[in-house]
Amino acid sequence: MSATLSTGAAIVSIRSLVVRYGGDAKPILEEISFSVPKGSVYALLGRNGAGKSSLVRCLLGQQKPTAGGCFLFGEDVWKRRARLMAKVGVVPEDPDAPPSMTARQLSAFCARIYPTWDAPAVEARLARFGVPAGTPYGSLSKGQRALVALALALASSPELLVLDDPTLGLDAVARRAFFEELVGELADRGTTVLLTSHDLTGVESMATHVGMLKGGRLILDEDLEALKSRFRRLRYANEATEDPTRYGQELSDFDAVKVKVRGWGVEAVVSNYGDETFTKFAALEGVVDAEASALSLEEIFVAIAGEASPAVKGNA
Amino acid sequence: MSRGFGIDPSDAVPLWKQIEENVRRLVASGALKPASAMPSVRDLARDLSINPATVAKGYQRLVEAGVLVVKRGEGTFVAEKPPSVPRAEREKELEGGAMRYASLAVTIGAAPNEAIERVRHALGDLLRKKIGGPA
Repeated sequence: MSATLSTGAAIVSIRSLVVRYGGDAKPILEEISFSVPKGSVYALLGRNGAGKSSLVRCLLGQQKPTAGGCFLFGEDVWKRRARLMAKVGVVPEDPDAPPSMTARQLSAFCARIYPTWDAPAVEARLARFGVPAGTPYGSLSKGQRALVALALALASSPELLVLDDPTLGLDAVARRAFFEELVGELADRGTTVLLTSHDLTGVESMATHVGMLKGGRLILDEDLEALKSRFRRLRYANEATEDPTRYGQELSDFDAVKVKVRGWGVEAVVSNYGDETFTKFAALEGVVDAEASALSLEEIFVAIAGEASPAVKGNA
Repeated sequence: MSRGFGIDPSDAVPLWKQIEENVRRLVASGALKPASAMPSVRDLARDLSINPATVAKGYQRLVEAGVLVVKRGEGTFVAEKPPSVPRAEREKELEGGAMRYASLAVTIGAAPNEAIERVRHALGDLLRKKIGGPA
């Protein structure tokens, strides 16, 4: 039977997923659970080594979980891989194809496997991208290969699109073309998307939900709008105490994730911001010139994940 | 078309709300004329490189408020006349907007007089643009 899903139903459901390699004491993924609602764009973030690749492999049925499981459209991927994958379009991190085959030949080859394959749509997308359909895959640039991978991923009209860091290393033109096509797909078909990315600027414009992996654990799983509304950077001078080690106690209502003492005062990233809390805080004895400013997703990521994201060098 | 929208994904204001506010501003200033066609959700989302659901949500709010109207099969248009908002609702909207602005002013450390002066300027700007006098 094919599962009919109502709006809001989970397209992807990861349940208590554990991945452990060999006799390693510490698992790569520890009890990961989250779901991707129908029509959402879920961005899975994490620094290198956080466990993203293992999770994506499990999700695509390429790797057997040590425990728990990955469910697509309500069915276990590991048990029903072939059938479920027919409804999924994938752009892998490093798209790979026989170097002598052209995009047109790749499309013709796939058309025999997928019953819903739309070969003219592949040609139309490649024409829009300005990628030659008759050039061997091996002779295409990195950006062109990513766009071919996207054209092929969309050709079967998938219900779920999995994008594994698709814009890593792409130039500005290819990146723009990639996102424009993705926007068109979302507008026309409301396709559900799960993506991993270092490109947090792109994610910030496109994602509806964000998950963050750190050291094999899911430390965040939230609606992007809610996430951004509760994070702020506060700056203020603290004149209540001479003792720098006591700085930050006045922040207790805000759940500060990072506090730095600067020459002029205190700078903190807080995770439980509210206008009312701030008004009270700004009126505290000793808190002077308090200011709150918004944080980009990149800044939130850095504050939580601990170190600079590689996006800075990867997509400058 | 999308230039006047000037949205910022990293701003604290959600993108759909930025779209809603920018369209209101463009309508208020007369930059978007009554009955003129709005870009489609798809086109605006592509221009701005944002999720079309975000644009749709902003448009939806404006349609509900009577700023935009949807004509079946034709698209979305600026309303012919400014929406008539019942007094109670208008007061509530103004109060909410004023509170948001006041919060912003306080969080960035603006003095009350400075904040009030800005509102005066903004209103003056909009009215002048609408009349078509020198900007």
